[in-house]
Amino acid sequence: MRQAILSGALACLMLPVAACKIVPNPDPESQSETSAAQTDEARMAAYVEDRWQSEVLPVISENTVAYDDFQARLGDGLDAAGAAYGLRPEGEANPWNFVMTGSGIVTEAKLDSRAAKMQVDMDGDGSADVTLQLGPVIRGTALRDAMPFIVFTDFRDQIEFAKLARAMNERASAGLEKPEGEVVGEEVSFTGVFTLRAAGDTPEIVPTELSMGGAP
Amino acid sequence: MSITRRIFVSSLAVTAVLPTIRAARAQEKGLIAIITPSHDNPFFKAEAVGAEKRAQELGYDTIVLVHDDDPNKQSEMFDTAIARGAAAIILDNAGADATVAPVQRAKEAGIPSFLIDREIKESGIAVSQIVSNNYQGAQLGAEEFVSLMGEEGPYVELLGREADTNAGIRSAGYHDIIDQFPDLEMVAEQSANWSQTEGYEKMETILQANPGIKGVICGNDTMAMGAWAALEAADRTDVIVVGFDGSNDVRDSILNGGIKATVLQPAYRQAQLAVEQADKYLETGSTGQPEKQLMDCVLITPENAGDLETFSLSG
Repeated sequence: MRQAILSGALACLMLPVAACKIVPNPDPESQSETSAAQTDEARMAAYVEDRWQSEVLPVISENTVAYDDFQARLGDGLDAAGAAYGLRPEGEANPWNFVMTGSGIVTEAKLDSRAAKMQVDMDGDGSADVTLQLGPVIRGTALRDAMPFIVFTDFRDQIEFAKLARAMNERASAGLEKPEGEVVGEEVSFTGVFTLRAAGDTPEIVPTELSMGGAP
Repeated sequence: MSITRRIFVSSLAVTAVLPTIRAARAQEKGLIAIITPSHDNPFFKAEAVGAEKRAQELGYDTIVLVHDDDPNKQSEMFDTAIARGAAAIILDNAGADATVAPVQRAKEAGIPSFLIDREIKESGIAVSQIVSNNYQGAQLGAEEFVSLMGEEGPYVELLGREADTNAGIRSAGYHDIIDQFPDLEMVAEQSANWSQTEGYEKMETILQANPGIKGVICGNDTMAMGAWAALEAADRTDVIVVGFDGSNDVRDSILNGGIKATVLQPAYRQAQLAVEQADKYLETGSTGQPEKQLMDCVLITPENAGDLETFSLSG
């Protein structure tokens, strides 16, 4: 071992001087952005950005169900709706996630919050049937858990996996054209993902598409 | 000298656990070693009891060992399990980094490990890692906390043991919710290492420095029990306390109007599920599940606390 170090050192000494090249010190600021120094947040944001168009959006368009069709199937129970339209990771006690599209009338809106939301009446009875989470802070992990290509085992730990869910929520929120001003009473159309733990729960949808005033 | 002593001590440990092995009938399916942190915390006791019961139902002998969150002790227990030719190991581990080596050692000895509650920092070594969905659970607890606080006021966070990923993930889940409310101000954040005694002591000190606090959010139930006891002693039962685990102690406190809420981890079922996956793996060579699995948590409030018993919810 010691001999190896010695001979290595000797080899270095014997390198011809001509092989030396003066390299400027790297700019410390640009270095901090390289992968070695990346935080979980930055790494997960990059992971999501790399796959958003190529993998995430295709899963969404392939699994989208219209609100009315979903409600009809939900009448037979959550598992029936899940078997027909749902997505969920393998394992016991994982709830179903769905991709839904529809349009309705905004009954309530909180747009000036970091966790902006709109309540939407889907069936014309005047009361809200779904919540649209506009973010940028969005609750839950529906978007992550609906993706069949995302497997917990592939990630370092729950912390990294949670940052991934958050990065996906933030990417969805960033891609929306946020409604402004007085929106109550307006029509809204959306496609988005939500987790449903019980048939009677209000879907808290993370929209990936959103437009005000009728079909997009 | 120290080596001889260590062998002597571990053989003592083996002798001490021998009586818990069921030798009544000769069983063909072999031995399952169940290794958890100290049973002083009822959470870990529920895990050990759940795993042992299911293993015996499925026809295994069992050996139950406690590592007290000491990686060296845990390592010796793996040696014991390997020396006894265990068929499988069910483990709630003593540290995400420190546990990689012993699980690897067991794997090389042909013994598969099935982890519950806590993850390790690598995949591909254990067969299963079944953990509570701590992020989802922490968000549930935080939402309840925010609502109980009326979305405002100074509060304290008691964190779990730093070497345990669950401490970090629960704190992340809490803050992803709480930090959305600018009128909620965290005046102290300290680790009480999952411990009731430390929870009491830390709370006592924090309260002296910050007499104006309105709430305490805790990374687990034992720290919540410690904090609540300190608040009671200081005649400050107006302070809102929220825990995490779903222990019977906190259930009783909730029902008596003490601690306000907690988050149930399905610890009993989780331990049973790990044994079922071990059994399936030993019989068929596969669990049929991905290695890492999450199990959802449930918010416990006065409304459903009455249905809670030993880390499972009825009805």
